[in-house]
Amino acid sequence: MDAALKRRLEARFGDRLTAPVYQRHDETEIRIGPGDVPDVCRTLHDDADFRFILLADVAGVDTGEVMQVVYHLWSDTSPDWLRVVADGLSRDDPRVPSITFLWQGAEWMEREAYDMFGITFEGNRDLRRIYMPPDYQSFPLRKDFFLPDDAARSPGAGVRHMEQSHTPRNARPGETMRKVRA
Amino acid sequence: MTAAPPRGHLHQEPPSDDPRVQLDEAAGVFEPVPPYPPRTEREAEFYTLGDGEMFINMGPQHPSTHGVLRIVLKLDGENVVDLDPVLGYLHRGVEKLCENADYHHSIAYLDPLEYIASLFCEWPGVLAFEKLLDVQVPRRAEYIRVLCTELNRILSHSMFIGWMALDLGGLTPILYGLIERDEIAEMLAALTGQRLLYNYLRIGGVNGDINHEFMSRLGDWMSRATTQIEANTTLLNENEIFVRRMRGLGKMDKETAFRMAMTGPNLRASGVPLDFRRAHPYSVFPELEFDIPTREEGDCLARYLVRIDEIKQSLRIIDQCIHNMPDGPVTAKLPRLLRPRPGRAYAAVEGPRGQYAAYVISDGTDQPFRMRIHDPSFVHLQAVGVLMPGHLIADAMAVMASLDPIMGGVDK
Amino acid sequence: MALSRKSGAGLGVGPDDATQVSSDAPANEPSALVVNTTAVGQPIVVSNTLWQSVDPNAYQGNLEPEVTHLRELANDPSSRRDDARWSGALEVIPTKADYVLDLIRANSLWPLLSGLACCAMEMMSSATSRNDMDRWGMFPFRASPRQADVLIVAGTLTTKMAGPLVRLWEQMPEPKWCVAMGDCTCSGGRYKRSYSTVEGIDRVMPVDVYVPGCPPRPEGLIYGMMKLQQLVKDRRGHWPDRAIGPTVPADV
Repeated sequence: MDAALKRRLEARFGDRLTAPVYQRHDETEIRIGPGDVPDVCRTLHDDADFRFILLADVAGVDTGEVMQVVYHLWSDTSPDWLRVVADGLSRDDPRVPSITFLWQGAEWMEREAYDMFGITFEGNRDLRRIYMPPDYQSFPLRKDFFLPDDAARSPGAGVRHMEQSHTPRNARPGETMRKVRA
Repeated sequence: MTAAPPRGHLHQEPPSDDPRVQLDEAAGVFEPVPPYPPRTEREAEFYTLGDGEMFINMGPQHPSTHGVLRIVLKLDGENVVDLDPVLGYLHRGVEKLCENADYHHSIAYLDPLEYIASLFCEWPGVLAFEKLLDVQVPRRAEYIRVLCTELNRILSHSMFIGWMALDLGGLTPILYGLIERDEIAEMLAALTGQRLLYNYLRIGGVNGDINHEFMSRLGDWMSRATTQIEANTTLLNENEIFVRRMRGLGKMDKETAFRMAMTGPNLRASGVPLDFRRAHPYSVFPELEFDIPTREEGDCLARYLVRIDEIKQSLRIIDQCIHNMPDGPVTAKLPRLLRPRPGRAYAAVEGPRGQYAAYVISDGTDQPFRMRIHDPSFVHLQAVGVLMPGHLIADAMAVMASLDPIMGGVDK
Repeated sequence: MALSRKSGAGLGVGPDDATQVSSDAPANEPSALVVNTTAVGQPIVVSNTLWQSVDPNAYQGNLEPEVTHLRELANDPSSRRDDARWSGALEVIPTKADYVLDLIRANSLWPLLSGLACCAMEMMSSATSRNDMDRWGMFPFRASPRQADVLIVAGTLTTKMAGPLVRLWEQMPEPKWCVAMGDCTCSGGRYKRSYSTVEGIDRVMPVDVYVPGCPPRPEGLIYGMMKLQQLVKDRRGHWPDRAIGPTVPADV
């Protein structure tokens, strides 16, 4: 709960934050729109009183209504983790600028978010699937992708190329995906 | 594998009339080149051969890929010009499985991510759940957690020493590393019941208290641990071939390390004294005395030596834990069905490879809404694309081994 | 080393365990693989409807099975022995040479380094100092499938890896065996509901021995390999009819 960090963030990014700075335990969270990601991250990385040079994590989130990309950063100027949430990506065509120009190590994490959610990172030189085979059609971590529930109906039923690219036949009709305001 | 893959955008060879080649093509020969036109800029750049270059596929089954990793190497003779790692051969869908399981059950899914350092994979998940639930962990449980995780760290580093030498061609140190690993595994089996995938940490504590067998094995091992580790490492430290091969290999400076989002010993070997146990303390680490070994050179030898120093610091921590172990319960009282308030939590620990973290989103039900697992091996493996080119194949393998990836964590 | 029925009692296996009785020891009762039907003299043929090699002539698929000069006796039903072997499609009368060959093979099974995940750690552990598989001749873990006898699949098989793994299996020359080590290879294990794992390698390859556990202790793997040795001594030869799935006939 670093109040000084909260003040600095509000002073610097006040107009671009889409929600108040949220703090709990040892985490500080700011929410921005997807278009602001490169500027905000560059400022956080380069600025002398922020110096968030360590990228801890890049995650994709599917809340059921929108998609988000969540960045976790660490700096020696603050005892808190900084979470930057790029909120409001549409579920049909989620696009967000890439931060590989700042951290090349984000390349694979963005590839993973693309593979699991379908989020397109504009500017990532290598946006292809990383976990699933290259001709896989679905995005597994989306909320409308259901796990197969029975081994007999699962992809691994003895066929050479085992891949299920559609909702399994046993998905219960009327089962809606979970939505959350996250 | 039903039809021959179409010849890619590369060499347009005429169809062969050698019947063995025709049979291979009918069977679908595993070409390193993907059978479709390049989709990304990097793919086009990589799959374009220069003059005198060739592709070699280090397939998913290979003795020195630390698991199932496929690397397509672009070679000029024996020099590695470029490489393209292909992951996903061990992707088990852990994050999706955790979304469909209880909070308690998800801990068991987190174990086999980095199977050498299982407790470090469970710990951030458990910490994140505890943050969501505002659970206070008893002090004895915290000390036990630190004790068993430091043992796990020593186990992991002992295996690293073995694998490091194995990738350079030395077949003996892996046996020594496995002796250490077996002893610690038996110790932890006495404590947790399992040699490898411990499933020992629980939300609010640990699964069971320390028992006599664990303490007797631990005391027995501690009394000779220092000399044993000295003996194992001296075998390599004083080996001229080992040192000369590793010195100056795969140099990574501070800027590159931060750019590649490195953490852990890989970062500390490049001169950055960042250890989350001191920089962002959790558990009872503020009360424990230990140093953070750091080296300036940033080459493979530095990464190796940093890990050896970490073993010694871990022994120091274990010693303090044993002597300062408080009494009390080992787990907090929690209901069987956990329904945390909606919210988000991020927790990170410092493990043998770097930062292990978990980001959990809760929606008020008894299943996590999103369980994001951050694994250091996944991030560090990108560095092979930066560090390997320019070296010979054998040295390239040494570079990859010095980054210490575990494919279970890379592929989740 | 033949395990007699009495000495095997404490091994934690039931009295019906077929491998407790070695069929090459003299004066033993017939192997429990005998089905208690009247058609005891009929060979048990598991026809291969699921798996075919690309080349129909591979694995001597279209050749006559090797028979000794006692071909007349082999084709004479009255001379069939009581312990009908399930690989009776070959209709080979075991000779001393076959017995010695199988003994040699059993005591020198060379595994392939095919550790995929966590079970690979226990496989490595069972091959090194404390639990030494070299005692049974299984030390050289070959890196190349062309030189290996046994494919110990240790670790979760994912859909992406299934192709390369079957390719490895096809590249291994006969006679070859397969050991499914760990829960993930036996049945999918803790990843049974996942979208990208294969629920058990017996969906894609024939399996001889299943070693359950998550991960199985090194002693468990060694026990599985000893069972495999017993199978090698019992089976005598290769099987062009081996199908995907467990290599035990369904009747047993």
